[in-house]
Amino acid sequence: MKRPRGSLVLSLVMFACAVIYLYPLILVVINSMKSFSEIMTNVVALPSRLSGANFVNAFTLMSYPNLFLNTLLVTFIGTTGVVLLASTAGYKLSRTRSRYSWIMFLLCVAPMMIPFQSFMIALVKVARTLHVTKTIWGLGIIYWGLGVPLSLFMYHGFVKTVPRELDDCAFIDGCRPLRAFFQVIFPLLQPVTVSVIVINAMWMWNDFLLPLLILSGAKKSMTLQLAAYNFFGQYKIEWQNAMAGVLLTITPAIIFYLVLQRHIIKGMVAGAVKG
Amino acid sequence: MKRSLFAAALIVLCAALLTGQGKTLNLFFYSPELTDQYNDMAREYKAETGVTLDITVNQADYVTLLRAKLNSGDIPDVFMSSAYADNTTYKDYVYDLTNADFIKMLEAGALNGVTVNGRITGYPFLVQSHSFIYNKKVFSAAGISALPRTIREYESAAQKLQAKGIQPFATGFKEWWVLPQTAWQVLAPIKDSFGGDYANFVDKLNSRDLKFKDIKEMSTVFDVLDLIKKYGGPKPMESDFNDQCSLLATGAAGIIHQGNWAEDSILKTAPDAKIGFLLGPVGSAAGKAGIMFDSNQTIRVAKDGPNVQAALAWLRWLTTSDYGKKWIPDKIKQLSPIKGAKASSAQLAQATVGLLAAKTPSYSWYYQRFPTGLEQGLGIILQGYCAGQTDRQQTLDALDAEYTKIVNASK
Amino acid sequence: MGPARRRARIARGLEFFGMTAPALIAILLFVEIPFLMSVTFSFTKWNGLDKAVKFIGLANYRELLMSDPAAGHAMIFTLLFTVLTVVSTNVISLLFAVILDARIRGRNVLRAAFYIPNIISLIIIGYAWRFIFSRGFDSFSALTHMRIFQLSWLGDSRLAFFSVAMVSVWQSIGFYMVIYIAGLQTVPREQLEAAVIDGTGPVDRFFRITLPLIMPSVTVAVFYSLSNALKTFDVIFSLTFGGPGTATTSIALDIYKTAFSDSRFGYGTAKSVVLFLLIFAVTVFQLSAFKRREVES
Repeated sequence: MKRPRGSLVLSLVMFACAVIYLYPLILVVINSMKSFSEIMTNVVALPSRLSGANFVNAFTLMSYPNLFLNTLLVTFIGTTGVVLLASTAGYKLSRTRSRYSWIMFLLCVAPMMIPFQSFMIALVKVARTLHVTKTIWGLGIIYWGLGVPLSLFMYHGFVKTVPRELDDCAFIDGCRPLRAFFQVIFPLLQPVTVSVIVINAMWMWNDFLLPLLILSGAKKSMTLQLAAYNFFGQYKIEWQNAMAGVLLTITPAIIFYLVLQRHIIKGMVAGAVKG
Repeated sequence: MKRSLFAAALIVLCAALLTGQGKTLNLFFYSPELTDQYNDMAREYKAETGVTLDITVNQADYVTLLRAKLNSGDIPDVFMSSAYADNTTYKDYVYDLTNADFIKMLEAGALNGVTVNGRITGYPFLVQSHSFIYNKKVFSAAGISALPRTIREYESAAQKLQAKGIQPFATGFKEWWVLPQTAWQVLAPIKDSFGGDYANFVDKLNSRDLKFKDIKEMSTVFDVLDLIKKYGGPKPMESDFNDQCSLLATGAAGIIHQGNWAEDSILKTAPDAKIGFLLGPVGSAAGKAGIMFDSNQTIRVAKDGPNVQAALAWLRWLTTSDYGKKWIPDKIKQLSPIKGAKASSAQLAQATVGLLAAKTPSYSWYYQRFPTGLEQGLGIILQGYCAGQTDRQQTLDALDAEYTKIVNASK
Repeated sequence: MGPARRRARIARGLEFFGMTAPALIAILLFVEIPFLMSVTFSFTKWNGLDKAVKFIGLANYRELLMSDPAAGHAMIFTLLFTVLTVVSTNVISLLFAVILDARIRGRNVLRAAFYIPNIISLIIIGYAWRFIFSRGFDSFSALTHMRIFQLSWLGDSRLAFFSVAMVSVWQSIGFYMVIYIAGLQTVPREQLEAAVIDGTGPVDRFFRITLPLIMPSVTVAVFYSLSNALKTFDVIFSLTFGGPGTATTSIALDIYKTAFSDSRFGYGTAKSVVLFLLIFAVTVFQLSAFKRREVES
């Protein structure tokens, strides 16, 4: 199918919107190349010279390579766990039509209604009792509990687009239900899975409060966001390092998002074929 | 040969364990702008004693984090807090330093804030001063030679600055903490009506015998806030700490209300800036205008921490060693609570010392005696007044309601 | 019931339990149990630090319902804020998702661009926007002399409401776009192509074919944005801290101030229980209404 005519105009309009939309980010980029004094004097001005000094500074101060790996590991553990737990539970709860199923569903989804501040201190206490504080693995596991509700909700709804007949086909083969699920149904949920991965990975990569509460004091296990926050004091903000630090932190996330976008397209094609 | 080497290693290891070598102390501080100085001190301490200081620094969520730690049993050996009312807040967690030998080496004035019923509950860390800060070059360019001390003098100085196209004040009103430090300075001479004792004044407030609406000097407080707002540029409610420092440093504004902690940011923005303190107006009595001078940032030893003796050893070193005595004046560039410590070369520290030597009125940070939690609550109410949400009477009532609420909550 | 059928029932029960238990256990351990622990504090008078805790029954709830005007203001603010942001966010994200689902140039980059605000740390967003509203607008007004830039968007009590809502919507659009894009993938292309051939206009196509089929996404997005809006904290914390005064204080920010700066932990927890009940009521109502309209394929 040929690309519709108006699409170039639409594309240009959207790009213009995007530039205005990202003005705050543009400010961050401009200022990440200036010195403290230049930033304080005039935020909107372009840098007098393009300098990567702040990036080098932030890179070192943040122990970037080590913390990058930590953050990556936490995000990976958290996201994988959420995908596995939410897809299986979401699928089962959606297919089972009973009062218990609805109650369990509400129980699983209820956390989305609970404000984090109201239970975070008790969470730290529970986490300490379970010995999951101060470690990357521990943080990842806690993310399972926090990330499953929304993801489960999404799977729960999307499973409806997979016809029930396919469930029976899979089981007729005599496969165990779990394997049947992952081999037959799960691949058909790819668009949701990609979204679930994006949402959870982005959130965990950039999260600040929970790592602060759980990892505080464990210098070797810190995440990138925690290190970036150290540039912000009440009486002095190391602007130049903070801007560079922020860019160093979100760039991997943006690259990840762009790479994953291609999979959404692939998923779209697969979905059309199945219809 | 190998066996004796092994034995030697074992002996050294035992010796290290026995003498506390290789020990680690857990310190939980705020003020991340001092991180370099904290680390420098930790390096020096390790070199001299072999004890590692593991310092975690955090600002934005310090209180939340400290509470989470204390509640979950993850008790740091040493932590930080304000003085005065915080003595009561953390009373279940602090080690009594009254009999510690190094306490005698601290200035009596600095110990005021941490003393409760004769017992010393914390170690004063920094001695600080706050008042109005002015840009000397801007003032001379505007032809202001006599530094203002009364409200009328401040108004005329502001008009002269405005005539030169300079924004007289960078208000800082967006920050809830700037308003209390500004407002309460205007009220500082109130102790004269209470036998010269702030404790008396605050006791009457706490028992609710005295209310803000009964204090006639509050109208002067409002007058000063009105003045700052009037000459505070086009968007006075949007000015934050950064705005204050950057405008003052570049000479775009002439006066801000801040403390000596702001000097670092100001000088990093404009290294050749020349700044000094102005005395805070208290109405028309020029002689009572002064600066606010006290030790509020406090180091506390956790009595349930795992290494109390090691923590005390560290504080002793901080008070008595060569490095320790020079740490605050030279590295942190602020004023030290240690007796006989030299003054820092920082401009505002020098200004403070000069003013004190000239017997200028210096008031303690009495408002830190208000029950914990009020500083922010009252600050936000004053912010609402400045934003035009409440008039004077409503503001006074709101201040009183907030005070009563907090007092009742802590009973 | 014969032994074979009983075994089958047990097998099905185990299968159900086996697939759903891990998720439920994680949620119970890390959210619901801590929340219940906190709820017990709502019946106490505690400052969050003292080792002694005083039990006071329902006194906190009584105070909240009868003598806390600040909590009342926060409630009104939050409800108005929620209505404005939920509608704006969902409409705009859905619109962007539809546009960016079509085959236009640079679609991937555009999607990433709109998502970025959702992942920049809120402290930076707070400072960047504060700067734009105050000094940035000063420069724009000097350039264009438009009245709109001379207003104090964060300093005026009434305008601040809109500024905070705007930044909140700005920050979330990318996120909900992801959910809607996923939903749009499940719309079978043939149905849409058939409609084009029939001559149905794009707007009709959207409302008659696309929208009914993406109801699951709409349900998720509205549910999540609704509960997030009622819980709004981060954006306001970094942009205005609830100010000027208390003009932009949401319920969640009020809770935070009560628990951590007034040091009234017990009372603060009581407020969060009430907030939870409010969110529960609103969202369960919304869920039932929407789930009924979901179409099964």
